[in-house]
Amino acid sequence: MSLRLLKYAFIEDYAEPRWFNTPATLGDSYDVVIIGAGGHGLACAHYLAHDHGITNVAVLDRSYLGGGNTGRNTTIIRSNYLTPEGVAFYDASLALFRDLSDALDTNIFYSERGHYTLAHNESTLRTARWRAEVNKHYGVDSEVVDAEAVGRAAPGIDLACGGNHAVEGALYHAPGAVARHDAVAWGYARQASRAGVEIHQHTEVTDILVEQGRVTGVVTPRGTVRAGAVLSAVAGHTPSLLAKVGLSSPIEIFPLQACVTEPVKPWLDTIIVSGSLHLYVSQSARGEMVMGASLDPAELHSRRSSFEFVSGLADGMLDLFPGMAGLKVNRQWAGMADMTPDFAPVMGTTPIAGFYLDAGWGTWGFKATPISGKTMAATIANGRDDPLIQAFNLSRFDDFSLVGEKGAASIGH
Amino acid sequence: MKYADFPLLGRRPFTEFSISGVLEPEPAELGEWTAARWVFERASVPRERVEWWYHGPSRLWFRVRRDTGSDIVVAIEPARTGSRA
Repeated sequence: MSLRLLKYAFIEDYAEPRWFNTPATLGDSYDVVIIGAGGHGLACAHYLAHDHGITNVAVLDRSYLGGGNTGRNTTIIRSNYLTPEGVAFYDASLALFRDLSDALDTNIFYSERGHYTLAHNESTLRTARWRAEVNKHYGVDSEVVDAEAVGRAAPGIDLACGGNHAVEGALYHAPGAVARHDAVAWGYARQASRAGVEIHQHTEVTDILVEQGRVTGVVTPRGTVRAGAVLSAVAGHTPSLLAKVGLSSPIEIFPLQACVTEPVKPWLDTIIVSGSLHLYVSQSARGEMVMGASLDPAELHSRRSSFEFVSGLADGMLDLFPGMAGLKVNRQWAGMADMTPDFAPVMGTTPIAGFYLDAGWGTWGFKATPISGKTMAATIANGRDDPLIQAFNLSRFDDFSLVGEKGAASIGH
Repeated sequence: MKYADFPLLGRRPFTEFSISGVLEPEPAELGEWTAARWVFERASVPRERVEWWYHGPSRLWFRVRRDTGSDIVVAIEPARTGSRA
């Protein structure tokens, strides 16, 4: 038992301070209002305070902290993307993640595992080579390995895949990691709160006020709040929120499902992804196998999970890891993914002055949490897009300058 | 598993079908809209809409009216072929 724990046995009033402020009253004016208390919104609040000294900030959420896609993703962190813009962006995120436990004074259980994207045919292998070369050019650690290397890294894997679609090789990304997603949100909430940021849970934004092309505040059931700047960081609710300010976007909402098995002894040290089989798997620190598949086929604004998902996932998973046949699925859930046509996010300024967007995070949002917070904070503080996110502005769809990132998506779509 | 009663087919699971787009009225003229907006813009809010669904085993197409907020299928009608039109 640690001495710190022992100390509390002798202190009558031993409660640790709360992790974040929950002020009883909502103010009537803030410099910045952030809609959505997920990882992205809280990270932005933290960096607004930490990097730019802007602390008169309120983070509002319709539900509880980190209860949306922050708590529903499968926590994989990597930077082996396909476009120069994507690689630079996600690599900066990975660098922040590595030091995040220290920076937030919160153990986020960051654990580098290595990340294998399996190729079951020649065309997938060709994309893997392409990604490896782009990555190497930008100093990201990626290489193409053969099937034997996959076999050595993943015990129990059936490289013949039941004789249906043998593994030909893989894109290996050594810095691929997992982290505890709740801890990331809570760590940011704690630091932002210490700096004076207010976090209001169960405070839904029902309307956004715009006067003469400039955002002036938001309406909530607890009252109207004036704001100099408003950031929307609401993942699957983005289109509904944009409709309130009269903006439209190419974002479409599809459910993405995942599940975990009962915990077992550590046996899989690495992250295995197969785009062809539509699945990915890693083992959590608790021993659960964390698994996911592809997006649901049709648009849906709901977080229901389905039997089709687990049965389809198990079908592919047992081809790859026949030894998992006896494992029981403990929990399954879904998140609402805000998909974009080019599989890159939509970030930065909008045609409405003072209204900023951090959206289009589809199935790739968790790994971008620190850098999206940092770049959005810089964008809000300076009133113009941070250089790292200029390519991701909403205006790219007006002038056809898309950022084609689909080939680097882990999961099937 | 999700089932629905399809005309011509009877009760079938949705896993036998694939969605192939939404039936949206094409604008007579683009007007203020730019071409890019027509290509990319989506009204992805919970609503009732008509979708094209394709049944692979029978090669039949259907128009399915579905609520994207609740996933409730309101109506299904077969796509008319030339001979039936």
